[in-house]
Amino acid sequence: MSAGHVLFTIIFVCALGFFAANIQRLIGELQLGRTDDSRWNDLPTRFGNFLRIGIFQEKIFRDSIAGPMHAAIFWGFGILTLGTIEFLIGGVIPGFNFQPYFIAPVYAFFALNQDVWAALVIAAVGMALFRRLTKRVKRLQCAETHPNDPLLILSWIASLMITMFAYEAFEMVAHPDTMTPMLRPISFGVAMAFSWMSPSAASVAHDLAWWAHGLLVLGFLNYLPYSKHLHVVASLPNVFLSNTSGPGQKGVMKAMDLEGDLEVFGAKDVTDLSWKSLLDGFACTECGRCTSVCPAHTTGKLLSPRKIMINVRERLESYAHAADKSTVADRTLLDGYITEEELWSCTSCGACVQECPVSIDQLSVIMELRRNLVLGESRFPAEVMPAFESMEQRGSPWAFDPGDRGKWAEGMNIPTMAEMAERGERPEVLYWVGCMGSFDDRAKKTTVAFAQIMQASGVKFAILGQEEKCNGDPARRMGNEYLYQMLAKDNIETLDKYGVRTIVTACPHCFHQIGNEFPQLGGNYDVVHHSTFIESLLEQGRVPIVQELHGPVRTFTYHDSCYLGRYNDVYDAPREALRRALPVMNLVEMPRSKDKGLCCGAGGGRMFMEETVGKRINVERAEEALATGADAIAVACPFCMTMMADSVKSRNANVEVYDIAEVVAGQLRA
Amino acid sequence: MKIAVCIKRVPDMDVRFKIGATGTSVDEAGLKFDISDFDGYAVEAALQIKEKANAGEVVVISLGADNVQETLRKAMSMGADRAVQLKHDAPVFDSFAIATALAAEISTGGYDLVMFGRMSIDTANQATGTMVAELLGLPIITAISKLDFDGGKVKARRELEGSYELIECPLPAIVTIDEGIARPRYPSLKGIMAAKKKPLETKPAQIGEQSYTLDKMELPAERAAGRIVGEGKDAVPELVRLLKEEAKVL
Repeated sequence: MSAGHVLFTIIFVCALGFFAANIQRLIGELQLGRTDDSRWNDLPTRFGNFLRIGIFQEKIFRDSIAGPMHAAIFWGFGILTLGTIEFLIGGVIPGFNFQPYFIAPVYAFFALNQDVWAALVIAAVGMALFRRLTKRVKRLQCAETHPNDPLLILSWIASLMITMFAYEAFEMVAHPDTMTPMLRPISFGVAMAFSWMSPSAASVAHDLAWWAHGLLVLGFLNYLPYSKHLHVVASLPNVFLSNTSGPGQKGVMKAMDLEGDLEVFGAKDVTDLSWKSLLDGFACTECGRCTSVCPAHTTGKLLSPRKIMINVRERLESYAHAADKSTVADRTLLDGYITEEELWSCTSCGACVQECPVSIDQLSVIMELRRNLVLGESRFPAEVMPAFESMEQRGSPWAFDPGDRGKWAEGMNIPTMAEMAERGERPEVLYWVGCMGSFDDRAKKTTVAFAQIMQASGVKFAILGQEEKCNGDPARRMGNEYLYQMLAKDNIETLDKYGVRTIVTACPHCFHQIGNEFPQLGGNYDVVHHSTFIESLLEQGRVPIVQELHGPVRTFTYHDSCYLGRYNDVYDAPREALRRALPVMNLVEMPRSKDKGLCCGAGGGRMFMEETVGKRINVERAEEALATGADAIAVACPFCMTMMADSVKSRNANVEVYDIAEVVAGQLRA
Repeated sequence: MKIAVCIKRVPDMDVRFKIGATGTSVDEAGLKFDISDFDGYAVEAALQIKEKANAGEVVVISLGADNVQETLRKAMSMGADRAVQLKHDAPVFDSFAIATALAAEISTGGYDLVMFGRMSIDTANQATGTMVAELLGLPIITAISKLDFDGGKVKARRELEGSYELIECPLPAIVTIDEGIARPRYPSLKGIMAAKKKPLETKPAQIGEQSYTLDKMELPAERAAGRIVGEGKDAVPELVRLLKEEAKVL
């Protein structure tokens, strides 16, 4: 064993030890978070996510330029790591390589891949540097990020590849007899360029390149834990442990036990967050895809989901590193890093969560902080107060008389559950009308239209009438878990009293809340959104509609509701219902549609808040809809309806906004 | 400073009322109750005085059946320190009888300041606070929109049409609160939890003799629906005719 090998062995062991100590430190930091036992269930789904989103980079490819670029580096890294292992063992054990352990074609394949992927990685790194330095891609240029870190990392990766080619090539020059042009064609090409060197000079060059590569590898390993490129280590575990693509239903807020003796409601600091949210902070590489799709951010509000995650990590590190814990309380995550204004800008649309390539859940951090603001400190925009009070007093965020809830149905011969129960009957479905559907003049038209469709299709349904209350979604999304649980429990009691099983509703917020979040409080129902319900009625031929095959061809564009789309993956049913009702219609898509759809601006309680900063989100969305040239906009949510109709009207555009149900009801045979 | 705030439990006014079967009370089915609006301002103002001084006590007092306990808890969840229920199961409409009971309670409390809402939003008599002041022989400033303290004096501002007046009187005193003084805070869950553990004392209400009783309640007659007489300038003559002949306002 040469002195060089001894020296390398010592460095190698130290580097590994240092890395292990750093990982242990990071795990210790994660343990500062709250326990979260929802991360190890349903292993098949988790492995599926790991493969799909992690290994096969499914979400990375949502950006068609950065996608292949990153995938080349990622896959290249995976493959080159095998070569690095061979390299490191060779550094400790003189003359070691994998060749004797594999049959020739396998080793040849391995070697060839090392060469080819290293070249691909260099190309991708070059492209990445070009995007950062020359093209200056917007989402990568932002004050909240650490702009020099990626340049350092990219240069480091390029150096790793170059030194690898160098030591392979100089080895060939030094020992022409060992040349393997077919296995390492690129290294061979480099060797050809240096063939003028004497074997002894090449041997020295090889040793230099080899040592440079070795030190770069070990240095890289140990730089990671201090860099945003910790994501190299943290993202794959994060994808596996994340619940944002299942297991379980997406977009469901964390259950909260209000009976227990909680010291902190929601989260005020990183120590109040789940350890998984802290891991999210480690996994974030500041790519900014979340922020680039955030409706609040893109219309000029202060919120940036990327900043939220950067703040979580920064705060965790400052907290963990502080020797004197009493001093760190001065600057908590809430207020010290993240302001109230940022938190209240969120529409809870879930675009950030959908977009994150490594399954980070920015939204749950925002929601936990909101819970602290409201439950702990009663801090919220003043204009929200009437909505809270009205939900509490009248079971609806708007100050309508609860006695008028069923008024839209007068003269329509629609029974209430109470009336049916009195007759000893049970409906096929309960029609959950919701507050907007019951009280808002525009939404009531949708309500009536949907009821007409069901009546014409012979669906036996009932409503709750006065017994229905707000499901609590706005309260919950605004952090008022107490009010939410009060409303939800009241509703569950009413639904269970009548033994309700199947519910249909025209409101995606009711749909999501009752179907996916009531189970946390013991309410279990099959909830169907009216778009799916109408679609299936149409498919079964139960709806007596006139299918006009002639006449003017209308052009529709459909605006996806976040709580229907991203939260519940219902994208096709509303579109299909439109097509079935209007066979000759043109359906054009907006640039941002389906799981990339832009929020209308009303979710997350934003409906009840002023929007004074930046451009109005609904204006942004309406402009996008109008730019398609459609003469009608279809929606499937009463909140979207208000937002879209208002902004279309304010632009004096001669374009109508319809709910899916109105379109279908318009085709009913007289 | 020790402050008492007298609060009343009233129904939410944004619902349609029905008269109960007896004809002398409101049908409570479907009604929601809360602190009367002006009393809520008074509670908030009292809490702010205490918070500013970082000392003192705020006691809330309400007269009524056990359901007023919910109202008292709400005030405590906002931050009041303790509560007193003057228990009386049947509704009382006579302000003087109520004032008598409240005065009896307040006289034993050693309060520096007693606060009322300017009026309750259900019966709107504006009488109780003033009557309590008279019964206790204390100075009173009514319908104030701002208050300050200077030595042993309270200085209050009353809004008048187009102007205001500033009045001061020595403590102890009674004030009744108009809107605009402070927006009542929304109780945090922390406050709600804390309120469950705060003391709520129940005593029989020493109601005086009721000099008047309620005979009958009636809803106001429904207003006739509006009419659209036409559109544009062609409709003007008809509108003028109706205003003259039917509405008789021209």
